[in-house]
Amino acid sequence: MTNTAPPTADAHPAPGAGDFAARAHQVAKVYGHGDAQVVALDGVTVGIPRGRFTAIMGPSGSGKSTLMHCMAGLDSVDSGQVFIGDTQVTGLKDKHLTRLRRDKVGFVFQAFNLVPTLTALENITLPMDIAGRKPDRQWLDQVIDTVGLRPRLKHRPTELSGGQQQRVACARALASRPEIIFADEPTGNLDSRSGAEVLGFLRDSVRRMGQTIVMVTHDPTAAAYADQVLFLTDGQIVDTMTEPTAERVLERMKGFELPGVGAR
Amino acid sequence: MMGKVTLRNLAAHKIRLVLTAVAVILGVAFVAGTLIFTDTMNRQFDDLFDDIGKNVAVDVRAQKVVDADDDGAAARPVPASVLEKVKAVPGVKNPVGNVNGYAAVVGRDGKLIGGGQGPPQLGTSWTPGSGTYDMKSGRAPNGPAEVALDTGTAEKGRFAVGDTVKIVTAGPPQRMRVVGLIDIGNMMGATVTAFDTPTAQRLLLKPGYFSDIEMGTTGPGEAELRDRVAKVLPAGMEAVTGEKLREESKSDVAEFMGFFRTFLLVFALISIFVGAFIIFNTFSMLVAQRTRELALLRAIGAGRPQVTRAVIGEAVAVGFVGSTFGLAAGAGLAALLQSQMGDASLVFTATPVVSSYAIGILVTVASAYFPARRAAKIPPVAAMRDDVALPQRSLRIRVALGGLLVLIGAALVGVGLGGGGGNPVALVGVGAFLVFIGIAMLAPVISVPVVRVLSAPFAKVLGTPGRLAQQNALRNPRRTAATAAALMIGLALITVVNVMGASMRTSIESQVDKQFGADYLIQPDGGGGIGEEVAKKVAGTPGVDDATPMFAGDAKINGRKASYIAGSAATIKSAAKLEVKSGTATLGRDGMMVDEDSAKKQKWTVGSNVPVQFTDGRTQILKVTGIYAKSDIIGPRVIPESVYRAHTARPEVDVVIVNAASTDAATKTAIESTLKDYPNLKVSDQAALKKDARKQVDAFVSFLTILLVMSVIIAAVGVVNTLALSVIERTREIGLLRAIGISRRQLRRMIRVESIVIAVFGAVLGMGIGVAFGAAVQQSLKDDGLSELAVPYGTLVAYLLVAAVIGVLAALWPAWRAGRMDVLKAISSE
Repeated sequence: MTNTAPPTADAHPAPGAGDFAARAHQVAKVYGHGDAQVVALDGVTVGIPRGRFTAIMGPSGSGKSTLMHCMAGLDSVDSGQVFIGDTQVTGLKDKHLTRLRRDKVGFVFQAFNLVPTLTALENITLPMDIAGRKPDRQWLDQVIDTVGLRPRLKHRPTELSGGQQQRVACARALASRPEIIFADEPTGNLDSRSGAEVLGFLRDSVRRMGQTIVMVTHDPTAAAYADQVLFLTDGQIVDTMTEPTAERVLERMKGFELPGVGAR
Repeated sequence: MMGKVTLRNLAAHKIRLVLTAVAVILGVAFVAGTLIFTDTMNRQFDDLFDDIGKNVAVDVRAQKVVDADDDGAAARPVPASVLEKVKAVPGVKNPVGNVNGYAAVVGRDGKLIGGGQGPPQLGTSWTPGSGTYDMKSGRAPNGPAEVALDTGTAEKGRFAVGDTVKIVTAGPPQRMRVVGLIDIGNMMGATVTAFDTPTAQRLLLKPGYFSDIEMGTTGPGEAELRDRVAKVLPAGMEAVTGEKLREESKSDVAEFMGFFRTFLLVFALISIFVGAFIIFNTFSMLVAQRTRELALLRAIGAGRPQVTRAVIGEAVAVGFVGSTFGLAAGAGLAALLQSQMGDASLVFTATPVVSSYAIGILVTVASAYFPARRAAKIPPVAAMRDDVALPQRSLRIRVALGGLLVLIGAALVGVGLGGGGGNPVALVGVGAFLVFIGIAMLAPVISVPVVRVLSAPFAKVLGTPGRLAQQNALRNPRRTAATAAALMIGLALITVVNVMGASMRTSIESQVDKQFGADYLIQPDGGGGIGEEVAKKVAGTPGVDDATPMFAGDAKINGRKASYIAGSAATIKSAAKLEVKSGTATLGRDGMMVDEDSAKKQKWTVGSNVPVQFTDGRTQILKVTGIYAKSDIIGPRVIPESVYRAHTARPEVDVVIVNAASTDAATKTAIESTLKDYPNLKVSDQAALKKDARKQVDAFVSFLTILLVMSVIIAAVGVVNTLALSVIERTREIGLLRAIGISRRQLRRMIRVESIVIAVFGAVLGMGIGVAFGAAVQQSLKDDGLSELAVPYGTLVAYLLVAAVIGVLAALWPAWRAGRMDVLKAISSE
């Protein structure tokens, strides 16, 4: 059953609204000039509810990665506003942006997630090290146990499997208790079993620890782990689905009359 | 804190660390070695002078008139009567008249021990019980035919007490019996011969005269005693305290050492400057290779300053490690040099340590600063995308800036060479520095066409590997350029030296051709003068028409030091082919001939009366009798022999000019056999003079080239570094090439060709700049004897080949590494 009601995000969120961990308001982003111009985001307005696991889905080229980069303060927008919590991200100077990423945002990337010269534990505590803060020992222990990495803490990334590396990345994102975690195709490079482990772990951290997570993916199976799915096409949010299952997501994706629809 | 990331990166990339550090180590070793070595030499001389002068409370000597360097023949002696007067002064203990002069020992092979040009060859008077040195065996010399030798010279000549040796002084050679051996301590290979006082006076000075009078004290302080002694001295004599005497000796050496140190440090700094290019290049490549990692750090919250600090931190560590090893290597180098001098103990002051670390760390950090800034500009989003390139400043700005630097630098060099500005040498140095940086900035643009041309033959002959090498060298012009620029500097300076050397040789040869009118010249080979009897003996040699002595000395005109030549006007005119512009080539009793330049400067004309103060303190008025065109051989003034003799305590012949009926080999052999008892004298005809000049210039050129080789070695390390990092960077590509069937040999060849092309590009750039600089220097010295410009094309071609060989050698290790790569792993690597 496709939810055809206007997406949650369309209700223009008022600044200071407490139930969103991050919001984008009329965000537009264009790459290139002239003939090579690509409209990546075309006035997207969306809110990421606090304490939920949100997946952003769309065919390749739909602008889903760009949306995430812009919402996370990694990339600049051409117009519109982005908020994380109560802080307006757009217009922030690099110094404050950096502090915001450090203190309020966690990241899990598709690949090259870890600093190769540091051990697993050092990678997990790296954001705190950078900030010059002592990690909360108890919390850290809980995170490490949840991801099941205790026996592997002293290993370097090259000595870990892909799934283990991604779990280290998740632990790193969680360890500093950020307001929101952005995950960019976190299972893109993993086999299905490791992928399921990582996704289950992300879902658990939302359910048990109240973490907010946004995940970009084009894999309906991965999206099914989320609490809600936002569909993005041509730089615009076109649909929202709560309580998704892989079948429903796949079905919905097939509806997009675009080349590459339902890839995978 | 990102310190951990920094440290781990260093530990993970030890080879990179080592290669980068090598550039620092070599440069710092050069600096530290220079400082430690000169410190040690200084200390040794200080100790030596303290030791020699420890019993001297007051020294009596002649006042110095012309300048503080009056020595040897020019120094006025102290009459023996002064010693009697001093003896009567209360408080004076054991006054001793010393006699010092030139004396050399002839070895069993008939040649001088210690050679002509080398450590000093000193003759001295020996006063038992008061000597500076200790008698080691035998007894003190006594009488006209006895001598004591220093142990080192005796050993070199295999002489023992009782042997007869031939002693050469500025007079007839003497046969003497060795009666004692003296210990002179560490005098860097100097020869010391000691005679009793009357013999020393006869051979080295003038009977009835001393070089100086030393005395101890029975109680009064040095200053007190000096004042008492000064009261009894005749005019023209002075008394100085022992302390002042020791300080003077020390400061003379310190001055020389300071010059020597500065000279070596200039070359050390050149090496460091070259090293800076290597460090800059390596850090640029490291940052480029670590883009994603640095972006990841930025994404998870590292600020720009933190990324900059992380890279700078690596630079500090590399600088620290490099400085430490450099300091150690420098100490080793100094110890090696010291042991050549016979003593291996080193003096350590804080200066070399502090300078080594300061220079090593500062240079590394400064060189890494721009790469570190670039690292900080990596956008965090690069962690997630493959296609984010590092922001690169447009080449157009670079070209404009580089061009500007070259222009400013060239202008500074021009002003400096023209003698303008407060400090011409510094101007030329700074100007050259700017030109190098400017050309290095322009190099990426220059590199594209030049590298294409240089690599074209390889591409043609070697096929695909050659073409790939060409593309690789062209792929990142900045990198190719920075690597080549390091090599450019060393080769530019070597080229300057070689162009200067060739120009000097050509200029001297043309001067000899144009200005040398005599058939033969007899001159001392090294120290000492020529005895009065030599000219007469040579004149009597069959085939010789005439042999005329010429003298040289210093005087003061208008308060300024003025060197002169003294002798017969007619002989000098024909021997130097003097072109008389006005007046005549005659001197008479009180005439003086001057060259056009000094006449113009002093507004003299023929008939002008010029007061000249001589080294004896007296002033005589000389009348300008003739003005001649500038002569490099004769110099600016000529005075009569009689005037020179009247004012000089112990006249010494400088050269003897010989004219012969025919200048065939027989005449030269005849003159040489006349002089067979004088191994310190040398007979030269035109060809020999040219050959000597060529030899001297060649020695000078090789010496400077050797000092510059260090910077070339550092640059070669830079090529190795660039290639090694390129190989790592292109791991996947190399794996792919191997997978589709390129052989190891072809792969190695590809890397070798890239290396050769980079090295030769650097050499071509360097030689271009070098020839331009060399020509500029020659132009500026055109009127100072460097009249001809000569470019040694043969030598330059040889250096080009050397550069190619450097390229081949630099590629050895990177190529081996690339060939050994596991194909599968290489393809799948991140």
